[in-house]
Amino acid sequence: MDNPTIPTNSASLNPETLSLLRLLQLASPALPVGAYSYSEGLESLVEQKKLDNLHSLCSWLEQELRYGAIRLETAILLRAYHSTKAADGAALSRWNAWLSATRETQELREQSWQMGGALLRLLVGLDSQFTPLTEAVGSPCNFAILFGLAAATWDISPKETIAAYLHSWASNLINGGVKLIPLGQTAGQQGLTQLYPIILQVTEEILQLEDEDLASCGWGLALASISHETQYSRLFRS
Amino acid sequence: MTHWQGKLELTYAKQEGATQMIHALNHAPLKVQRPFYPEGEQICHTVGLHTAGGIVGGDILMQNLHLHPRSEVFFTTPAASKIYRSNGQQAQQQIEITLEENAILEWFPQESIIFNGADYCHKMRVNLAPNAVFLGWEITRFGRTARGEQFMSGEWRSHNEFWQQDTPVWIDRQWLPGHPETVQSLHGLANSPIVASFIALGLPNSTSLLENARQLWPTPPQRGEFGLTTTQNQGLLCRYRGHSLTEIKQRFVTLWHFLRQNSLSRPKLHPRVWM
Repeated sequence: MDNPTIPTNSASLNPETLSLLRLLQLASPALPVGAYSYSEGLESLVEQKKLDNLHSLCSWLEQELRYGAIRLETAILLRAYHSTKAADGAALSRWNAWLSATRETQELREQSWQMGGALLRLLVGLDSQFTPLTEAVGSPCNFAILFGLAAATWDISPKETIAAYLHSWASNLINGGVKLIPLGQTAGQQGLTQLYPIILQVTEEILQLEDEDLASCGWGLALASISHETQYSRLFRS
Repeated sequence: MTHWQGKLELTYAKQEGATQMIHALNHAPLKVQRPFYPEGEQICHTVGLHTAGGIVGGDILMQNLHLHPRSEVFFTTPAASKIYRSNGQQAQQQIEITLEENAILEWFPQESIIFNGADYCHKMRVNLAPNAVFLGWEITRFGRTARGEQFMSGEWRSHNEFWQQDTPVWIDRQWLPGHPETVQSLHGLANSPIVASFIALGLPNSTSLLENARQLWPTPPQRGEFGLTTTQNQGLLCRYRGHSLTEIKQRFVTLWHFLRQNSLSRPKLHPRVWM
């Protein structure tokens, strides 16, 4: 079926519910972009025995949310969101180039581009209104940029977009930790739940962040990811 | 207390095979030594000085380097910079570097020591024209380690941005709020007082450069973590987090000498000002 249209005038699908369903789709671990195949440095940290339980995994994720690359990336996602709302293709392209330049390592940059490429194909296949916007982004395109672009197009609120993006990221890495450390499934979900107050707090911070303050603390992540690039045996992609 | 608004503006041009400093302007506390040529006239060696003891809140230091086509410059400083505990105001350093076609800049200032409680913002932007080369490092020590001091309060920002023909190639905006959490956590400093980055942009063939550079050291460093990766446009990036200035300087100098010999066909250099 090409470009399925959604009956937006249907009484059973009011616009808010439709936005919620779109957000669930976009932030779902089942979204076919391959997020599950990346560990963002966790695999090398587990191999080096620096992460070996739920507590150390959650404090790593907490630090990353508070100070790290995910916070910076999500702040740029928000800029892509606003650029889409303003129909400003030049700004979309500029933020996409900017995000590519901030990726800490080759591995993290390629992850962002690979997932971005997969989401691009998906969006264009879902809805023809994406085509002019995605063309404006330029190539290679980053996953976070397209996530922001899709959320804006589908009228999801900025706050919910950010919280869902952070949740989807955290959920994916919790699953990575469950496989690598390993941990029980329930322990993993408890860890994710523990991160909720931080996700909410960081969502508010990102909404307020000025362009001048776009920065991150990248030492731990860069070294873990660099080390993963040359790790001998890997479950996760590099 | 008076604040410094220091300025250093240097322009270089290649004239009959010699790199000349064709313009120099300085406002205290920034100064520049007379250029010298230990490797011959094609490479101008420049030593920038900060003539006050260190940098305090409210200070604004601006440096502007412009290298005309094919000019070649080696830049360093004679001593570590000290950034003192803040008096409530932020200290700022802004550096703008423009490298025109085929210019080569080796940018190797000595380390900065960020005192506990310092509020410091360093911003450097490098604009590279086609075939321009930038090799450089940034080495930072948090706290006066010999006194047991750690960076438990204050804020450090270091924004280093590299643009090639108006496209951002490498944007490295580091931020460290001084706090036990960031100082101690595995994600932040992991109790290591020293962080450092080395970047090389504009050299051809970085894939093989990366592979060869990874072979320079048979073992990992003993007192820190160290790794190499690539940026966009075949840049080479190296990161360190650890405890030893000697260790990281030795590694960075080894990497620098390797790049000098392999990519710039220049011999190893042991600057006298570092000895």
